[in-house]
Amino acid sequence: MGQPPRKGRRTSPRIVLVHTATFRQARQFVPAIIPLVAATGFGGGTTTVVWLVAGVTLLSLATAALSWWRFTYADGPASVVVTRGLLSRSVRTVPNDRIRGVEVEAGPLHRVFGLVRVRIDAAAGAADKDEELVIDGVSRAEGDRLRATVLTHRSTTPLAEDAEPEPEEEFARFDNRWLLYAPLLGSYLAVPFAAVGALFRLAQELPERFRPDLDGVHVSGVQALAIVLTAALVILVMGSVIGAAVVNWRFRLTRRGGSLIAARGLVTRRHTELEIDRIRGWTLAEGLGMRWVRAARVSALVTGLGDAARRGQLLPLGPRAEARALGVRLVADPGPLVRHPPAARRRRIVRALVAGLLVSAAGAVATPLLGWWWLLALGVALVVLGVPIGLGRYASLGHAAREGSFAVRSGWLVREQAVLQRRAVVGWQVRQSPFQRRAGLASVTACVGAGRGGYTAVDMAAEDVAAFAAAASEAWAEGLRPVIAPGV
Amino acid sequence: MTTAPQSPVREPAWPLSRSAIGLWVTEGVIASLGLGVGAALFAVFVPADAPAPFPVLRWLAPALVLVYAVVAIGIRPWVRFRVHRWEITGEAVHTLTGWLTRTWTLVPVSRIQTVDVTRGVLQQLFGLSTVSVLTASSQGTVQVWHLDADVAQRVADDLAHRAEQVRDQAT
Repeated sequence: MGQPPRKGRRTSPRIVLVHTATFRQARQFVPAIIPLVAATGFGGGTTTVVWLVAGVTLLSLATAALSWWRFTYADGPASVVVTRGLLSRSVRTVPNDRIRGVEVEAGPLHRVFGLVRVRIDAAAGAADKDEELVIDGVSRAEGDRLRATVLTHRSTTPLAEDAEPEPEEEFARFDNRWLLYAPLLGSYLAVPFAAVGALFRLAQELPERFRPDLDGVHVSGVQALAIVLTAALVILVMGSVIGAAVVNWRFRLTRRGGSLIAARGLVTRRHTELEIDRIRGWTLAEGLGMRWVRAARVSALVTGLGDAARRGQLLPLGPRAEARALGVRLVADPGPLVRHPPAARRRRIVRALVAGLLVSAAGAVATPLLGWWWLLALGVALVVLGVPIGLGRYASLGHAAREGSFAVRSGWLVREQAVLQRRAVVGWQVRQSPFQRRAGLASVTACVGAGRGGYTAVDMAAEDVAAFAAAASEAWAEGLRPVIAPGV
Repeated sequence: MTTAPQSPVREPAWPLSRSAIGLWVTEGVIASLGLGVGAALFAVFVPADAPAPFPVLRWLAPALVLVYAVVAIGIRPWVRFRVHRWEITGEAVHTLTGWLTRTWTLVPVSRIQTVDVTRGVLQQLFGLSTVSVLTASSQGTVQVWHLDADVAQRVADDLAHRAEQVRDQAT
């Protein structure tokens, strides 16, 4: 590249068209325009509307062009610099060694114009907040170049400019049959709900005469209920499958050199790049419904990349065996989990029962006084449900540590197993409530600089804590071992 | 009464400064006064003939405040002082905090990112400081509360210096 690094590059002028069409910059003027329009009124009919549309489009074009003109970026050997701002200028400099990952995404309009949006994730010091730089609207080739250079600048062994592209190795490929798992996954079930909600809002805003006359339709009770329930079920299932398909279409995880690249998406195509050197572990999450069909999702735990729920996804949805195998390729599985002692089971059940017992007690008082028998019924139902929930929660608990990695598992609604490298641990936190002390249990949290920041082995036997910590992290954790009193 | 045999992990060796008891008592007094004022306002502004739950609350609220005051002023500071421990070994910072629920935290010097010393208003009155040790993990922060100000400063300087020398870039 002949350009000196400090000289800013511009994004493609075609992005002005994209932003004009989406009113990206003009959107912030909307609150100002509404009272203006309300003041002048819609009196003129069609002519006013045409003027309005033309005016708004021109405004949008002008703001989009201005912000394109004022936006430059430069990727130097040491840092990425983004300069922007219409009136007040802002210059953001992100050192290359702070960059944790690069994502290249192309929305539908971007794809029409052959453009991509590059997001650069950076760790923001010790505050543990993620920052990101967005360079919106570069050509596809420029996006790939940025992705490659930003990441290779960072590595300690600089690659030659003319090095041949490294061979790709496929890690995982999405099988479209796995979309059938989607209805069992909470996050995808939300998709049809959101769609139905939006539809209802739209229907509310339609003028009266366009609204279908629902009041005139009469169906008998049971029939109507059956029809509505069936329709709702079908919509829910179809919607979640379609939602999962849109997000995960042609998901592919490949390894190129020192990084993992995940590509996915039907409408908006995303390429997320993670550096393998920064991967400290993985989590395997199985919801209640997914356990039933032996499905799971895997995410990588990347240091400095806060909560990597979306960025770190390695397999969004798939059979558990497949998901586990993928994780094991990155960080070895420490083997079968150690069950927690029976006291932990008692504690889980008691905790699951407490809410039900409290409600039952309140119900027992309220039934003779106020006639609230349903409160008592609810309490009893909660108590009855509490036992299987407590047992289920106990069944999830487990921990293991061996040869460079360790695992902890917990959760019932979503059972999550975290597998981490020994070197990932930056501290231990052991908690013991008075009840745990009586039962001889303790909860141990491994603090890590990735993912949620800490992963907990809930209610493990108190006497195993020090040994587990010592086995699951480096030599410094020996400091937790109780001193054996002399003469014992 | 010794808690040693029940501890899941080793107890850190050093107790806090005794001034910490005074600080905790002061905190308890302030919190109790605040609650007492709240209960008094409640008794003044809620009419005596208010419907069902209020007459009960009128005497329940002051009673609860009284219980809280006894615990927060008379019991908690001493229990806390007995429980709280800290220690800085050759390779780690080790603390034990809490009074009912106990929390042991161990952070190796090699993973320390920043060391802060903070002094609250009350702490300044008692000549105390808090040393906060931050790591890459949002949950891996160790705070050593209520050390004598000069001890805290020495500890912070020492930790920062050693962390600089043995910093581990793995995280």
